[in-house]
Amino acid sequence: MPFLAHGSYRIRYELDGPSGAPAYVLVNGLTQYAELWAAYRDALVARGFRVATFDLLGQGESDKPALFISQDDQVAALHLLIQELGDGPVFLSGISFGGLIALRYAIAHGDRLAGLVPMSCFAELPPQLFLLGNALRTGLILGGTSYLQDLLLPMNVSDQWLAPVLDKLDSVKRQGWLVNDVYALQNLMESFLDFEPLTEQLGSIGVPTMILNGEFDFLTPRALHEMLRIQIPNSSLVIIPRGYHAFTLEKPALTADLLAGFADDVLAGRWQGNKAVWIAPEDAGGDLTPFPAGYDHLRAIPVRGASA
Amino acid sequence: MSELFGPLDPGGCVPSHQQTRVAAFLVSAHGALARRFALALPLRMESAWQTELNAQFYNESEIVSLLLRATSWTPDPALGYLAVAWETAWFPAPAQGIPDHSLALAVDLATLAHAVHASIRPAALLPLEANANDPFVMALRRVEFESGRLLQAQILFLKGDNLRPFRDAVSAALERRHAEVRELWREVLQSVDVSTCDGNDGKR
Repeated sequence: MPFLAHGSYRIRYELDGPSGAPAYVLVNGLTQYAELWAAYRDALVARGFRVATFDLLGQGESDKPALFISQDDQVAALHLLIQELGDGPVFLSGISFGGLIALRYAIAHGDRLAGLVPMSCFAELPPQLFLLGNALRTGLILGGTSYLQDLLLPMNVSDQWLAPVLDKLDSVKRQGWLVNDVYALQNLMESFLDFEPLTEQLGSIGVPTMILNGEFDFLTPRALHEMLRIQIPNSSLVIIPRGYHAFTLEKPALTADLLAGFADDVLAGRWQGNKAVWIAPEDAGGDLTPFPAGYDHLRAIPVRGASA
Repeated sequence: MSELFGPLDPGGCVPSHQQTRVAAFLVSAHGALARRFALALPLRMESAWQTELNAQFYNESEIVSLLLRATSWTPDPALGYLAVAWETAWFPAPAQGIPDHSLALAVDLATLAHAVHASIRPAALLPLEANANDPFVMALRRVEFESGRLLQAQILFLKGDNLRPFRDAVSAALERRHAEVRELWREVLQSVDVSTCDGNDGKR
């Protein structure tokens, strides 16, 4: 199992696929670990990509700094990993907390990227997300990792995903509970205590950017992704039908297909962001559909008068 | 060598020799913390934060009491010299780089408590089939859960404004204590045929 060295800390990573191929780097969400990308490794390698996955500092098998983990350190660790990939095209994608780290990376080192895919992501902490984040942190403090998982699960996935596993939730949660330590998760969450909005810097992201947002994501709702779409010049927003915050877990085939299609389009010179709004197909292999003209994609009911 | 306790007996209980070695270590660590919190606890409190010392003292004592009663003890001749090594490791060692001696001692106590509460996760070593009604199984789960809560006082103190000028010294002392406690815990587990592999093991 290879490790990168960031100061005295070690970052566990994995590379799959041919070394000369365009690469996808996938960044975990808060309570995740690299193995959760297994289906993406398989799908993207089969489509001719090299895939890099890793555990963030404080997660899984990477080192867990005891007291402080700054988001700058996460970006530095990600930079080390991307340097391992050589000079070929690199596509960077991350979900939720990982999406934020990917945004930070694109702001700092955008020239190293061929494309960016923030998923279930945010550049600011408006009051609802700020209060939800605080409540999740309090949940972790009072109830431990297991309780945090209990709070996140219904936000992350649909009833259809939950129903068959409802009587075996302990086993569903077990690996996440095992690899995540309370203090390390708390350090990750407390890296937001001095969070400054990234909105003003999003305009500096010059790479093609596909923003993915679950239709029913109420942890990081549409308005947060809209901020990215408006600010990032060469971007488009793709809504995942029936997707919740962790649609990457629930719809890996569809999401991997979208990632591969985006990279293929960019490499072939076909990609045009145009700040367009699209609806993803229900299943992998389908086409993107333009959001109906004249309707507001920020509303949950069909209201005319789209906000441009 | 397994990554979990066991093999469990037919009743889903952890073998007595594993219970004994693990409980002895936990009693030593939490007992040391209880003693040090007791010594730091004034007869009459003058500041609100001292109420937390009281809570820490009684919670550590509860953990010790619980383990003493919930463990299925068995004779273990090695405990004599092991306990000496463990108790030596808990000796106060004022944090380097903090000129105020009493503050350096407080940081040392907080770093030791942080390391014990954060890096020792005994419940994570229980197999899924462990009997949830077994007192030792329940005790380990309780120790791990309570440790997560007790840890909050150490986090608040070590991340607090009072220690901001000494952040590097605090971080260094804390990482040192973590490495030391993890190493002892790893040795204890290996001595009962349980292997551990956490993300920080490579930093030894």
